This record gives sequence, C-alpha cells and structure tokens, in this order.
Amino acid sequence: MEWRLIKTEPGAPMAAVDDAYNEEAGKSFLTAKLEDLVAWGRANSIWPFNFGLSCCYVEMATSLTSRHDLSRFGAEVIRATPRQADLIVVSGTVFRKMAPVLQHLYEQLLEPRWVISMGACANSGGMFDVYSVVQGADKFLPVDVYVPGCPPRPEAFMQGLTLLQEAVKNTPRPLSWVIGDDGAVSKYSVSQRDLRTADRMRATGLAEPTTVGDAPLSDSLLGKKRS
Amino acid sequence: MAAVVQDNRQAGGGNDTHIAEDLATHFGPDCVTQECVDGIRTVWVPKKHVRQVMRYLKNDAPARFELMFDLSAIDERARRNRNGQPASDFTVFYHLMSLSSDDDVRVKVALADGESVDSIESVYPVANWYEREAFDMFGIEFDGHPNLRRILTPALWEGHPLRKEHPARATEMDPFKMTPEFQKAQQDALRFVPEDWGMSLSAKHTDFMFLNLGPNHPSVHGVFRIALQLDGEVIVQAVPDIGYHHRAQEKMAERQSWHTYIPYTDRVDYLGGVMNNLPYVMNVENMAGIEVPERAQVIRVMLAELFRISSHLVFYGTFAQDVGQMSPVLYMFADRERLFSIIEAITGGRMHPSWFRIGGVTQDLPDGWDKMVLDFCDYMPARLDHYQKMSMQNKILQRRTKGIGAYTTEEGLDWGITGPSLRATGHDWDLRKNRPYSMYDQFEFDIPTAEAGDCYARAAVRVEEIRQSLRIIRQCAENMPSGPIKSDHRLTTPPRKERTMQDIETLIHHFLNVSWGPVIRPSESCTTVEATKGWNSYYSISDGGTMAYRTRVRTPSFPALQQIPLISRGFMIADLIAIIASIDFVMADVDR
Repeated sequence: MEWRLIKTEPGAPMAAVDDAYNEEAGKSFLTAKLEDLVAWGRANSIWPFNFGLSCCYVEMATSLTSRHDLSRFGAEVIRATPRQADLIVVSGTVFRKMAPVLQHLYEQLLEPRWVISMGACANSGGMFDVYSVVQGADKFLPVDVYVPGCPPRPEAFMQGLTLLQEAVKNTPRPLSWVIGDDGAVSKYSVSQRDLRTADRMRATGLAEPTTVGDAPLSDSLLGKKRS
Repeated sequence: MAAVVQDNRQAGGGNDTHIAEDLATHFGPDCVTQECVDGIRTVWVPKKHVRQVMRYLKNDAPARFELMFDLSAIDERARRNRNGQPASDFTVFYHLMSLSSDDDVRVKVALADGESVDSIESVYPVANWYEREAFDMFGIEFDGHPNLRRILTPALWEGHPLRKEHPARATEMDPFKMTPEFQKAQQDALRFVPEDWGMSLSAKHTDFMFLNLGPNHPSVHGVFRIALQLDGEVIVQAVPDIGYHHRAQEKMAERQSWHTYIPYTDRVDYLGGVMNNLPYVMNVENMAGIEVPERAQVIRVMLAELFRISSHLVFYGTFAQDVGQMSPVLYMFADRERLFSIIEAITGGRMHPSWFRIGGVTQDLPDGWDKMVLDFCDYMPARLDHYQKMSMQNKILQRRTKGIGAYTTEEGLDWGITGPSLRATGHDWDLRKNRPYSMYDQFEFDIPTAEAGDCYARAAVRVEEIRQSLRIIRQCAENMPSGPIKSDHRLTTPPRKERTMQDIETLIHHFLNVSWGPVIRPSESCTTVEATKGWNSYYSISDGGTMAYRTRVRTPSFPALQQIPLISRGFMIADLIAIIASIDFVMADVDR
C-alpha cells in the first residue's frame, strides 16, 4: 500500500486526491454484470459428488492428494450426498446394473449441474464392448467434458476440470428460474485434440525409452544423491 | 519343435496314490481321470456322487482338502478337441486345495443341457456364491441351494452370459436406452425385501430397521451394496449385493487373442497392475511350453512386488481413513506417487502398464532404473516407521479395530479366504514360499503372520508385507541377472525382433503371431499366484485356436465379501466400516 500526504489547503491541486481515491476504490469495489459474477463464483466453487466406479476413481482420488492437490482449483469439497453437489465425475465403467442408480443420483444433483466423463469406459465403453457395459455415459447423461485415458492421469483429470470451469465461467445463465430449457450452451465445444495437434506435432526431442529420463521422482524429491 | 512342458510347481504332490484311484474305490469305476498340463489331478465323477465326493475329500480322504478354491462351469457345446473326456454339454468344475498336504484336485461333473447338479454349499459354505455365479452365467441349477438367484447380472437380465449363444458385445445387442420405465423397473428390482432373505421384520421386543448401504457409499470402496438388518445400531444380519462392477472379463477372454487379453487382466484387480498379468502369462506359457529367461522372471518379480507395495499403500491409507484418521492417506498417496514414478520410468504407464508378455516382458529395463529402485528401498523404511507411529500405534485406531471382525483359520478356509487375510489368523501359507514360481525360491524374505484374525491383524500383516516386498525388490535390484528379456520360443508374443529380418521362417512366425496371435495347442491349465489381496488364478482352456475357449478368473476378493455377514454379526455399523476397510478388496476384483 502506498501512503501519501494530501494538501487540504484551498487552491491546492486535486489530482493527488483523485489518485488516492481511485487506488482505494480499485481495491474495494468490483463492477461487473451480476450474471458474470455469479458464473465466476460457480466456476470457482464447484462441489464434486463423492462418486466413483472403477480404476479411474483411484486416479481421481489421487488428484485430491498432496502431489496434485485439486483444492488449488477450488473443487475439493467432496460431498457424500448428491443434494449438496453440482458436479458428478463418472470415473470408470458405466455398468448396466449401475446405470439406473447413476441416473437416480444424477437427478438428485443441484442445478445447474455438470458431468465430467472420465476415462475411456465412461467416454465410449472403451475396451469393454461387452454385454454388461453401457457404451458411454453420454448414452443417458449430458456430458460436459470428456477426459481421455485408461485411466487418465490425475493431471488429465485436472485439465478436464479447468476446462469445465472455463466453460462455466463463460456460459451465461439466467439468474432466476426459467420454465423449460434455460438456454445455457457451453462455450467449450472445440476438441482439445484439434486445438493442440499442431503444437504437439512440433515436438522433436522425445525421451528415449532406454533411459529413465527426467522421471518425476528423482534425487531432488528424495533430497539426496546416490554417488 | 517339440513343446517342452515347463517343470510344474503348481500342484504340490507328496501324495503318491492317485486321487482318481482313491475315488474309484469309494465311488465306483465311473470316475475318469484327465491329464492337464498344469499337473493338477483332474477327475470326472458321476453327477449323482458330487456331494458325497466333496464330503469325502473334505473330511475323510488321505489328503484333506480344506479349501474349495474355485467352482465354475464350462460350456462344452462348441468345443472340438475334448480328447476322450466324458460327453458333456456343461461341465461344472470344482478346484479343491489341501494346504495340510500341499495338494490340489480338480473334480469335474458332466451335465446335459438343462440338467441340474447337487449343491455342495452344505459341505463347503463358500460354494454358495460360486454356485449362484455359475447359475447366473450358465443357467445351471444347483439342487438344494438355499438361495439360487442371480448374483452378477441385474435381476431382470435375460439369458446367461457365458453360454456360447449369448451375445458378447454390447454392440451386438439392442442399444442401451434409459427410459423412465426401464429405470423404474430396474430400481424396483433392486429394492431390498427382507422376507426374500428369510428375515423377520420384528422380534419379541424389537422392530428391526433395514438399512441400505451402497451401491454408492464413501466407505464401501466402490460400487458395492450391503443391506443391513439392524436392532438399534447392532447388526443382526447383513446381505451383500454385488454385480455393479461386472465387466465380463471371462466372456471377453473368449474373443481376445491370447496376447491381446493381457491388458484386460490389469483391470481385474486394478490396484495390482502387472501383478494380474503374472498368473495369466505364466499360465499361457505353461500351455505353450515356454521357458522364460531368468532376467525376465526377476524383472517380473520386481515389478509385481512394487505393485504389491502400491496396492498395500492404498489399503493402508484408506484403512486409516475409514476408521477416522484423515491425514495418513495423504502421506501414503504421496509415497505411491514416488513409486509410480519408478513404474512409469520402467513401463511408461501408471496403474495399468500391461507390461508382461507371453514369454517375457515388453522391454528391457531403462538405464538408471537400479538407482531409482534402490533410492526407493532406502527411503521407504523410515516412512513406514513414521506411519507405524501415526496409524498402527494410535490408540483410537487400535480400539476401533482390535477384536473386531475376527475369524479363525478354519473359518477362513471354509469361506475361501486366502493370502494376507488368512495369514492374519496365524496360518503361514504363502504361495511364494510354499509353491515358488518365477524364481521366488531364490529370494530371502519372511512371511508375516498375526494371530488374532481381526481387523487390526489383517492390517498389521499387510504393513509388514510392505517391508518384506522391499527386501525382495532390493535383492532384485542388486542381483539382476543379465541375458534376454524374452524367450526364444516360437510362441513368444511378440517374438524377438532381431532375427525377423534374417530369414523368412522367423518373419512368417512374427507376422502371424502379431496379426493373428499365437495358436495354443488344445490343453487346460490353471496357474495361481500370491496376488496383492490373496490368491489369484487363471484357468484357461484352449481348443487349439488363437483365443481361449474358456478362461476362468478366480479372484480373492469375491469370497471375502461373501464372508462379511458372518464376521459382522453382533457388531455396530461403525464396526462394519472397519471390517470392510480391513478386507482390502476392489470391486473389479469381486465382480470381474
């Protein structure tokens, strides 16, 4: 904070006073459209439902733990009841026996609510094109973000979550109840693959499979060197 | 090139009289022997004798078979190579194990389509769920079963999935539609009706309360449901309900080549990673007669033990969390990440590397692997000491888990409990010691046991197993043999690349093995390993094709859940959570 003395004598220039006022005002007030403000609040306080199906859930849980720390993105308040949550992460295989239960849970989520489909099984059935598996959560749920992988790494899940937050932030929604469809359409429908392929194709220096390369655990993490 | 059958250490032996002769003297000459490449004595018995045979083998035979290890069926109707086995449409097989005399026997019963067979539930209580599963999957009725109903598929399912005429692919069936009517019908079918399970609604001085826990509940470790009959907060009876995680792994094995099924095994016990590959590839190698080079075997052991630690760390953390400690799980997941960076440097994957191959492993170890592994071995023991103080010596945790959910060795065997959970009752059987595979006999390690058989003992055994696994891993890192990482055998998949460009024969083999997959001669084999959660076995039947005719996946978690009602009766709901936490299961390992 910057401090300064202001002359209050008559005839003194007022510019300094204006500066200080503007500076203080900038710190204390925020002007925005209410709609945007609410969307911003929603995006940064997503409460996920404590729901997991299979392997992917372990990676999702890993994203909550110290190394990855999902709370950096304001989405770590895991709720055990769908009535207090607004995000469901379908993390794992959607089984035929589980699908009606999942639908029931989804219907109890607070609106507006979002669905992240995590992993190949939830995206499309993945490697399990088999009688007991529904071929993708989107067969009955409106999926907002698909996270690829089998299972996706925690980082991939976190990227999915930030994409969802971005979409929530940029999606205008009516502030009050509306009858029927609220007209909110996600602004994020571009595939990340299309966005990033050009960038990825530019990579030339890939790590050799014959070395451990710059594996994340190394001496610095262990705090010692082996000679 | 003649196939050399691997020296088989699976079936113990030590009992010279052939069990078939023994059974023939007691139950008549219709008992027929079958030779299997796994060396397990296999006897066909007439269906009318099944229950007596089981009773005899359990109680009176020279080698007592205390453990009913596995029970399932085979749809034989489409099989071409049966090599003189008795005529059968559906074969029910029973895999029994004798730990006292280190022996195995497989009993088979031939059934015509639509025929039923006696239930053996009264002899081996663990058979209850296995028979329900066989009924669900094949439609075979078991006479005298107290509660023969579907277990894995939804109650309203039509057909029996493992029958050959049942569609395998979801895309062969009508597209899935979630109509309100469908949802309502399915949800209604899930409603728990106490009367169906022989439960009364009230007793003399109390009205019972019925509580539905799951299938989505934070403390049931996945999609598992348990219906409770409660007197106040005390559990009178519990009914586990499974099948919410049925991924049809066994049906899948019938349409994947021997090679392309490997990634599916990773997802059976999804915390066990390559530990799941091990029994499967060893089994196929046994059928193909492949000798695996030493280096590959030791690499396998090292990675399997790393995954044992990874799985046990998840167990340790969630166990502490379920009984009320919030922070240990964060520490343990951080260590698991350190471990995964080794896995990642070696295999390129995290949870499901699918890194073992028929005849060896995918790749050689990268430069610098040993430093990473030894660093981890140096680092971990101090952490375990820390966790010991933080969790196992915590008085609250001890009071929540000591004396809760205890069972004896005998009860454990009756209910098919294997691995660390059985060792927590004082029984020191460990397949790595008692029937060493993949060079485990070359390592120095101890088998931790505990006496009490309660929740605390189950956790304590696993914690000590982490230390023993570290010992094994250190020995692997310090004494890694040199040499090839893949066998020279022609059925090794994919075959070694170096020579494929030298002569046309090898190139053709390489091409066929990669495009069609290896052809395995008609044979049957079962291989069991000491997996993270108990004994995991793959029993495959080849009809001489590029795919398995039938593959049976026996997992340790399935019988463990069946036992819950028995060990939770009379305890409070909070104790049930401790019991569930101490079992160490994942639903993929239960429902497959």
